Amino acid sequence: MRTLKTTITNIKSNKQLFFASVGTITIALSILGLFLFVYINLNSVLSFWNDQVQLIVYLEDEVSMHEKKKLEKMVSSHSEVESFDFVSREKAWKNFQAMFSEKSAFLKGMGFNPLPASFNLKIKPTPNRLEKIRTLAEQMKQLPGVESVEYGEEWISRFEGFIILMRVFLLALGALLSLGAVLIISNTVKLSISSRKDEIELMLLSGGTPGFIQLPFFLEGILHGLLGAVVSLALMKSIHLYVVNQFQGAIETFGRSMDFQFIPFPLIMTIVMASILVGWLGSFFSLHQFLGVYKKL
Amino acid sequence: MIQLYNVYKTYNNTPALVDISFIIKKGAFVFVTGPSGAGKSTLLKLLYRWENYDRGQVLVNGTNVGKIKFNRLWKLRRKIGVVFQDYKLLQRKTILENVAFVLEIVGADKKTIRFKAWEALKNVGLSHKKDAYPMELSGGEQQRVAIARALVNNPKILLADEPTGNLDPELASEILHLFEQANNEGTTVVFATHSQIILQEGNHAVITLKQGKIVDTRVVV
Ligand SMILES: Nc1ncnc2c1ncn2[C@@H]1O[C@H](COP(=O)(O)OP(=O)(O)OP(=O)(O)O)[C@@H](O)[C@H]1O
Ligand SMILES: [Mg+2]
Repeated sequence: MRTLKTTITNIKSNKQLFFASVGTITIALSILGLFLFVYINLNSVLSFWNDQVQLIVYLEDEVSMHEKKKLEKMVSSHSEVESFDFVSREKAWKNFQAMFSEKSAFLKGMGFNPLPASFNLKIKPTPNRLEKIRTLAEQMKQLPGVESVEYGEEWISRFEGFIILMRVFLLALGALLSLGAVLIISNTVKLSISSRKDEIELMLLSGGTPGFIQLPFFLEGILHGLLGAVVSLALMKSIHLYVVNQFQGAIETFGRSMDFQFIPFPLIMTIVMASILVGWLGSFFSLHQFLGVYKKL
Repeated sequence: MIQLYNVYKTYNNTPALVDISFIIKKGAFVFVTGPSGAGKSTLLKLLYRWENYDRGQVLVNGTNVGKIKFNRLWKLRRKIGVVFQDYKLLQRKTILENVAFVLEIVGADKKTIRFKAWEALKNVGLSHKKDAYPMELSGGEQQRVAIARALVNNPKILLADEPTGNLDPELASEILHLFEQANNEGTTVVFATHSQIILQEGNHAVITLKQGKIVDTRVVV
């Protein structure tokens, strides 16, 4: 209670500096958050597409019953295949017509079915799934009765590469900004400490425990981190809401069943905890430096 | 209670205390005197471990003071009340808050703090100025606040560094009586002064320092 009061007095007597420092941390965190926001949404796009990725094996129109059976057997027994559909030429045609129902008059008028039959394979989700799809595709291409294979290869691998790059970038940026925040907080707390030098000295002389003496300053540092995190998260949330309002419509035509995601809760907690840790570290360095003088006496 | 054995202390290779040995028993009242720069303050600082020594041993309450870790020093310092030569009053606090501050540090409850702080100020005749700031007091008044603060925790040991330096003789002898009263209640008192009047007035043991050495001791009979 008294500790809290001391912390607040400390902050009040250095108000401008406190707000400047919290503001800087807020901005730093917001920059990080913005990238995180983009990353999370790109990632969710990726996993959405990843889910959609199928290896489609088109059959030759004149495939024999025997070849088809053989292919089906191979596909159903393959260890990497999670499930598969057989889409006959007729069914493919129906699907196609359903998808473009407004043009169905024209389609009906075509009078023949240009679509091949296919096996649509869903591959088990493993970390190197793309690799697996690739090898399986190569295998299947060689088999008799197979006309061609298809999957969104280039797209996905490029996209995945980008996501990995982004992850590295985010980690580096986070580390850099955290370091900056530690320095800023440490500096602010240092000023707070030196403006109370006489009081701290008296506390040391009158038998204040190190914990009692240091707690207000630890709280001050932690408050920096916590406030910075909360304000920047609130900022992120309002940006998120704005974006959702403005662009949700556009997104819906782009990829169904997808929305703009906010930073997920566990990650929010991680950010808050990390900010608290950063604040604590800032205080720790200043206190360590300051009290070091008295430890040597 | 306080034992020193062949203690040496230097500041940047300049000797401040040389081969100091003495024993102060529990409940004793001892003056430390000597000319300016003789090492009186330094000697007191060793006892509450604000300074460390280079050789010898300093035992307070049976504990080797030089070996106490920083994180445990508070235990020693809670037993010791100090009247600092430069008072060390907090300028941003009223004098009542100044006295209350050391009670807060040791975690006393609010009611006790208010009562004891006020009582301590009353004992030095300053309760009517409790809301004044140190800057608004005369030197002697500030000195009395420092004394009130040193006594407020009922320390086992009281170290007073020139506590009457700024007081007129009458007030000085009143303060001396205050210390003697604490002494009668069991507090061991070490009182540094260069005032001959005070030395004569109080019939107590005297350790005389000169250039860091003990040159004379007076023992009470
Ligand atoms: N922190 C310090 N750094 C360097 N030298 C110091 C320090 N403190 C004291 N000294 C030196 O140590 C010697 C003893 O100083 P001390 O303060 O103990 O004297 P004193 O007897 O208390 O004097 P006074 O009666 O003037 O208060 C002096 O020569 C002083 O200059
Ligand atoms: Mg002195």
